[in-house]
Amino acid sequence: MNRGTAWLIVHGAVAVAVAASACGPRRVSTTGTPGPSTVVLLAEPDGSVGRAVVTSGAGAGMVDLAADRAVTTVTGRQAPSPAATLDAAAIDARYGQTLASLPMAPEAFTLYFRLESDELTDESRALLPGVLKAVAGRPAPEVGVAGHTDTTGDPKANYTLGLERANRVRTLLVGAGVDTSLIDISSLGESDLRVRTADNVLEPRNRRVEISVR
Amino acid sequence: MTGRSIVAVLLALLPASPALGQAAAPAGRVKVTAGMAFVVHEGQRIPAAVGTPVYERDSLATGADGRMGITLRDDTRLSVGPQTTMEISRFVYAQSDSQFAFVLKVVQGVVAYVSGRIAKLSPDAVRLETPSAIIGVRGTRLVIEAGP
Repeated sequence: MNRGTAWLIVHGAVAVAVAASACGPRRVSTTGTPGPSTVVLLAEPDGSVGRAVVTSGAGAGMVDLAADRAVTTVTGRQAPSPAATLDAAAIDARYGQTLASLPMAPEAFTLYFRLESDELTDESRALLPGVLKAVAGRPAPEVGVAGHTDTTGDPKANYTLGLERANRVRTLLVGAGVDTSLIDISSLGESDLRVRTADNVLEPRNRRVEISVR
Repeated sequence: MTGRSIVAVLLALLPASPALGQAAAPAGRVKVTAGMAFVVHEGQRIPAAVGTPVYERDSLATGADGRMGITLRDDTRLSVGPQTTMEISRFVYAQSDSQFAFVLKVVQGVVAYVSGRIAKLSPDAVRLETPSAIIGVRGTRLVIEAGP
């Protein structure tokens, strides 16, 4: 055995051992009581706060988290502890590393279409370079393209029109150099209106494609 | 025989397998990774790299120095802290059919969650679990820690 091979084998063995110890089966008890769980709600960057409802896995009790840094802990099969507030320094110390690993927020674009058509308005066409820039600025970029229509005409035809619009945008993006395999298209037809209207209403703001670059 | 019909014949010869369906649409992709981080897909431990696909029923696992950030197809974002094991138990995002489901299990460790379109379109379709807790969300940013 030459030295190179020996090194490789030893190195490989170490790598496997480390991987196994780092990611092997956990000490997860299947018969005893489960370990404690902590849930912390955080505000969005724009200051808005969502809501989370925490129950124990055993079905005991329920706690509502509705404020920035609201926290509850569930121990064993007991009910969740009453909501308290965790201070910012503790969040940073315990979870800062994890929070810093969140991917960039997806970037959304809305492109509008001419009436009963898969042609973009001129204003929307001007947004395409911004989409390309967002794609170029991300690790492993992906692009979701969802076509929408207004309520003019029947829902089935509008599903098809939504798909045509999404296809049209895909073609434009691919023409501008985006790899087609990064793009997934879908149609929501008239089922997800941006501006709520009655049936058979012309509404330019509903004739759109929503793009998410993620 | 055209290229397409050759593909059709080859597909017909393959045994029916959920992997075939899954291969068409990953639930998401790894966007951030550091240290020892793995995607466990059908029992295979795959070192996570930027761009590694993540499918429904995959697990994500990190070592003591490991971290990982994932963006799902509905814009949900997750990050996995060190010494963590979690599973994407269910992910269904079929906008055209209004079919939505997202179930995430934190087995041990720390996971940050930022809700996406599924939570917006169908909040009741989202369930986050740990061995001792079940969490329902209404458009939200959360940290979930499951102790040993």
